[in-house]
Amino acid sequence: MIGVVVVSHSERLAEAAVELGMQMVHGDAPPVRIAAGADGRFGTDAAAVAAAIDDLADSPGVLVVTDLGSAVLSAGLALELRESTTEVVVSGGPFVEGITAALVLAATGAPLGEVAREVSAALGAKAAQLEPVPDAPVLAPAPAATAELPLSADEVLVNPEGLHARPAAMFVQAVGGYDALVDVTNLTTGTGPVTAKSLIGLLSLGAKQGHRLKLDGHGPDAATAVSELRRLLADGFGELPATAPH
Amino acid sequence: MRTLEDSRLTVDDLIAWLVRFDDEIVEQAGFLTELDSAIGDADHGTNMARGTAAVRVRLTETPSGDAGAVLKSVGMALVSTVGGASGSLYGTLFLEMAKSVGTASELDTAVFADAFRAGVAGVVARGRAEPGDKTMIDALQPSVEALSAAASDGVPLAESLQSAAAAAAAGRDATIPLVARKGRASYLGDRSADHLDPGATSAAILVQALADSHAERTR
Repeated sequence: MIGVVVVSHSERLAEAAVELGMQMVHGDAPPVRIAAGADGRFGTDAAAVAAAIDDLADSPGVLVVTDLGSAVLSAGLALELRESTTEVVVSGGPFVEGITAALVLAATGAPLGEVAREVSAALGAKAAQLEPVPDAPVLAPAPAATAELPLSADEVLVNPEGLHARPAAMFVQAVGGYDALVDVTNLTTGTGPVTAKSLIGLLSLGAKQGHRLKLDGHGPDAATAVSELRRLLADGFGELPATAPH
Repeated sequence: MRTLEDSRLTVDDLIAWLVRFDDEIVEQAGFLTELDSAIGDADHGTNMARGTAAVRVRLTETPSGDAGAVLKSVGMALVSTVGGASGSLYGTLFLEMAKSVGTASELDTAVFADAFRAGVAGVVARGRAEPGDKTMIDALQPSVEALSAAASDGVPLAESLQSAAAAAAAGRDATIPLVARKGRASYLGDRSADHLDPGATSAAILVQALADSHAERTR
């Protein structure tokens, strides 16, 4: 798993954001280091950021997520001060949404580039929920299909809360375990398709109870992945009040 | 009659400069914070004072080494203690100057001017700010130009440093009508106009401290 370095002006802010994001991670979590505050006050310290990156030198990549402006400056300087040579990306994504998206996707073993793209787009879900949407975010195009035959299925969302963060994280985890890509479209609203590996993309579907979702699987494990997602949907993600077998 | 020694900055001159900088920052910390309370988060004076105090301790309590080592040590002390954008930006200024001078033990006007230019270029690259954005660059960039011009005209070091300080002060004063486009003050938009920029003010203090400490030591 890639590592995540959280750079914040405040230790408490960083700890709470990581704790919140970790709610979505079930099973092994990616390694996280926090570099927050400067000299015990609000601020950021490039030397501490460099040390945090160096501490994750054994990871196959490190994503740095930052809060306000000068945290970006410190992260940039840290890349010059660090001693390790692991690939590092400083993300411009939003802090809370970005940390959550990073932890969920990194936990599936996704590579640095994929996690970095997900984090950059992490404001999309919030923007898509607001009405009216003056400049609707452009959803990331679905990844190109592989040579295998597409495998599709429709399923109606039965759980009362719809496809909110917890079930969306379960989707990402379920698909992460297979050699397959699954595109998800909200047929009721005509939103999507988005990849089921993207927490943010799934949230941007705005899928509510009663909405019909279309699943298009590609790749060697597509059949298993799609049927696993159908099972989660039919099961209401374990959120059905009385009948939930979960 | 000037002696050859007067035309070069030694390691001791650099240390004297930064001790002087600390004295000035301590004296003007209240003023800097007042400026910052108008358009920022009211901590520039205290942040800078914490940084320059750490620099003074590091320079006066540990063996000095060459010019590059001294400037690097200054940069690292500022990075770790000032916090926020000022820490990274002042840190970058000194770390880039350190790279530029390398292991030299004395810097003539041209070498110092090149190092100062490299340092300010580092700040520009790190902060992505340009002249006119109402930042420390507005004091530093004209100061670099003045110092380089003086160096290439063969102006003696003391006068070169005075013209660099004068250019920094003029650049600082020119920030008053500007609308901030970078840093915390940029959130204020037009309301950031009619205020002196705190970062440009501390940057002008830095250059003036060099001119003054050099003048004092060669008097």
